[in-house]
Amino acid sequence: MAVFMDLNITYTTDKKRLRSVIETAAHLGYSTVAINYVVDLQQKKQVSSSVFPGKSRPIKVLNRLTVVASDPSHFRPNAEYKAYDLVAVYPTTEKLFHAACMTFDVDIICVAVIEKQPFFFKRSPINGAIERGVFFEISYTPAIRDSTMRRYTIANAISLMETCKGKNVIVTSGAEKPLELRGPYDIANLGLLFGLSEGDGKAAISTNCRAVHLHGETRKTALGIVHTMKKDQPLTERQEEEHAPVSKRAKIETV
Amino acid sequence: MRRADIQDEPATYERLVYKNTSVYHYMRISLVLENESTRLSAAQLKQLIVSGLRDLYGEVGGAFPFDLLKFDESTLTGVLRVYNSGLVKLWSALTLLGFYQNELCFFRVTQVSPFLLTLSGNSRELELD
Repeated sequence: MAVFMDLNITYTTDKKRLRSVIETAAHLGYSTVAINYVVDLQQKKQVSSSVFPGKSRPIKVLNRLTVVASDPSHFRPNAEYKAYDLVAVYPTTEKLFHAACMTFDVDIICVAVIEKQPFFFKRSPINGAIERGVFFEISYTPAIRDSTMRRYTIANAISLMETCKGKNVIVTSGAEKPLELRGPYDIANLGLLFGLSEGDGKAAISTNCRAVHLHGETRKTALGIVHTMKKDQPLTERQEEEHAPVSKRAKIETV
Repeated sequence: MRRADIQDEPATYERLVYKNTSVYHYMRISLVLENESTRLSAAQLKQLIVSGLRDLYGEVGGAFPFDLLKFDESTLTGVLRVYNSGLVKLWSALTLLGFYQNELCFFRVTQVSPFLLTLSGNSRELELD
């Protein structure tokens, strides 16, 4: 079974608090977290692109960039995006949402949870995104903080589920403090509230997150990643291979 | 890792039908507060959970019957019992509860089971000699 991942931990400059959030996540059962650096291009505010150094502890820490944009020209896939493991976009207009679903080179599209959805979800860009392997993200921490946010979160989540039928959805925290995190099975239960089925709810924090991670890795490669399986080679074949000159032997990089 | 040359056998299915499923679900929970020295009584905890249910589900949800079977004040852990139909509501209300008297808190659900016996032990606290 795929492991539990939490792909949205807000970056704070307070390193001690960030470390305690990651420790709480490890304690609750998550095996991978992603630290989210938010960039708001409209206000030309750049967050420091320092990458959190990975510590040698049982939890794996990824880096993720979220671009808040309202215009397709704001989003430029360039070299600095390559430093991050995952790239997400937060569309604020319908035009950008359509462009993000169909053409942008992103892994995650964030669905608004702190405000009323400024546009309606249409089936055609969402189906296009599902075919490309892009995932929609719903964050649950605003629902814990405030009851108005709770209504917006549930309303937006339900309208998303109606259009996408529960496919390609991930649920993440947006935790800034360690007390805002919740355990993985609690989130799977919240998925039922959002309109996901039981299997989809559990997939939203395990298999779909793993798919996002792999999708992020493919962005760094030219064609894609190859998942290899071990196979026993019969003796005769191996002997024949040894006779071939060294330069002609296939080069396979194991990941 | 799966091997390419070993084929999986076709899955066989076995259907189990439970005749005497439990009517209730039991949950072992523990309350984690920001200020670790705050203590609650059992009645205050029940009031907190009812207010959480009421915030999320309204009057109908707040009136849903559930029981606090055991409560340990020093460690703030307890066992709740709820009817099967109300499990999702109660669990989601516990998840989304964030504040106790303007203090940050969170409910940690350690075990959920339809049978009380399973709550007696778990592999996280297993001690092997």
